[in-house]
Amino acid sequence: MLSSFRLSMTWVHTWFGLVLGYVLMACFFFGSLSVFDREIDRWAIPETRYEPQALPSFDTMLLPIFKQIKPAEESYEHAQDEVEGPLPPADTMVPTHFTAYTTHRDPVLSMYSWFDVPNQPKDPNVDHVHVYGDATVDPRNGMLISSDKLKIGSAFFYPLHYHLHLDWKDLGYWIVGLAALIMLVALVTGVIMHRKIFREFFTFRPNKQTQRSTLDLHNLTGVVALPFHFFFAFTGLVIFAGIYLPVTEKMFHQQHQAHEKLEAVQTGLPHDPAGVAAPLASVDAMVEEARRRWAARGMGGEVGFLEVAHYGDTNGYVSIYRAGTDRVTLTGQGIHFRASTGELIREEPQPTTVSGINEWLTGLHLQHFRHWMLRWLYVFGGLCGCACIATGFIFFVEKRKRQHAKAGTSGARWVDALAVAAVTGMMIATATILVANRLLPESLPARGDWEQRIFWFAWLVALLHAAWRSAPVQRALISPAWREQCWALAMLCIAAPVLNWITTGDHLFKTIGERYWPVAGFDLALLAVAGVTAYAARRLARAEASAPASATSERATMDAAHA
Amino acid sequence: MPDALQLALAFLCSTYGMSLLALAMKVHWQQARDDEGPSAVAALTLRGVGASALLLSLWLCLRIDHVSMASLVWVMSLAASALTIALTLTWRPRWLGWVALWRRR
Repeated sequence: MLSSFRLSMTWVHTWFGLVLGYVLMACFFFGSLSVFDREIDRWAIPETRYEPQALPSFDTMLLPIFKQIKPAEESYEHAQDEVEGPLPPADTMVPTHFTAYTTHRDPVLSMYSWFDVPNQPKDPNVDHVHVYGDATVDPRNGMLISSDKLKIGSAFFYPLHYHLHLDWKDLGYWIVGLAALIMLVALVTGVIMHRKIFREFFTFRPNKQTQRSTLDLHNLTGVVALPFHFFFAFTGLVIFAGIYLPVTEKMFHQQHQAHEKLEAVQTGLPHDPAGVAAPLASVDAMVEEARRRWAARGMGGEVGFLEVAHYGDTNGYVSIYRAGTDRVTLTGQGIHFRASTGELIREEPQPTTVSGINEWLTGLHLQHFRHWMLRWLYVFGGLCGCACIATGFIFFVEKRKRQHAKAGTSGARWVDALAVAAVTGMMIATATILVANRLLPESLPARGDWEQRIFWFAWLVALLHAAWRSAPVQRALISPAWREQCWALAMLCIAAPVLNWITTGDHLFKTIGERYWPVAGFDLALLAVAGVTAYAARRLARAEASAPASATSERATMDAAHA
Repeated sequence: MPDALQLALAFLCSTYGMSLLALAMKVHWQQARDDEGPSAVAALTLRGVGASALLLSLWLCLRIDHVSMASLVWVMSLAASALTIALTLTWRPRWLGWVALWRRR
């Protein structure tokens, strides 16, 4: 047992923080990038570089597209594993639900169709299984955006930050959930072990020993953004609470079912189809009516989410939600209409206190509001988190590398190598996928899959490089991998905007002149990263050059002391 | 006043508040000025005015956005201004000497 409470807390902070810090680094970094996921999408898919659009006409444009959407291959295979017997062929499946989703930052519209599956589910707790299909359209003309084009921001970086693209048995969600829980633990233990949380609130001393300066920076970035770190780890867990604690689906399945049916009766929104065919009335008229009702409540705005349930059935209904541009909650003020007649079924009342708090907590994390300053402050908070975790690794290594060097053990070396891969390696992979996005041929089949493969490959190469170059850490020196990867990153971050210019003609003067900030901002951010990493690389080179000298002089002092 | 300007003002207020809170500490006072440190009264005044500036910044945030959003903007701007002041104390401590408008006798 450790001698004091503070020491036990230090132990928990050190070891849990170290092991899950590698995961948290990815969560924070890709989370920070996700603040601008739609803008990164614009950078990656040049044909979508135009202003955000409102929801287009449902009747004339969206409905024909919804009817054409076919089940996605992946979803079809997934459903096949979940049910008894073979599924009907994908192209004979009939869609029963449509949803369309957009935000004030989306020039393109995301559309999803659900297909009912007649087969019996294998899991007795599941009532029915669905197959899904999706499409992305240009709302100006109804043209489809090829699904071979990867939305690097919203479909790659964003999911990476909450499930690491580990789909097998939802493993990614569980790892990230555990990491978020450990983040909360690390924050509490960190506050307990910090002796001078107020006295050193504003303290960073870069000219002290590396170990001390690193700890200063670790404390500073951890403490000033403490509310951010706490709330983002916590709300991340709240968002996926249904996965981590599936109480309603597993423990109270019967009650859950009964509640759903009761709710359907109370709200007048049918739970099941009636089995009687019915036409669909004009959805555009319903959208118009919903807008009028929002305006009457003093809340103007656009449609954020539209759903057609039980399509083609007399029990069908249309739900229209307002985009949450001026509130923290995602979408709200839902208004529901009978699909066959267009008459109003229900206008949702103010949320209850509990659901209001829940919507605020999830909304503050998912941030679909229109507030650019808060967005940038979130990026700042996220990068503080990255700096806090990275300095945590460096402090761990700095504290131990001399002892390990003396004892001839290699623990510090491997921690350092993993830290290089988790910090600069991760950023190299990120810049590489951008470069690959601009270099791969436009017509390459499954182009998006290639981009992803290149991303993981670049990260793996960075890890191997970090491991190969880490030997000096074992002699209590700085690993040259830090410097070399900084240079590689700086070059990639210059290459990406240059390639963007060459392949699309959208150079910075043009995009800034046209005030097209999604692309101009991302190009500028890349150049800023290039500048910072080049500076870091030069500083590292200087530190490496002086390190052997100081190590020798340290030894000389020690020898002198012995003598 | 345009929202962007008010938000900038809110951020300036919180940065000013943070700088006074920092100066109320002896070690930071000494970084910013040559003398020994704030007297007990001066430290108390710095803390009082500093905290008021933070509250003023909250009030500005609340004028612009719905309370659910303003609270987030305020907390995040506190974080950013605290880091701004910390880094100013690291590299340009003398700049903060100007912030407290009175001298210690």
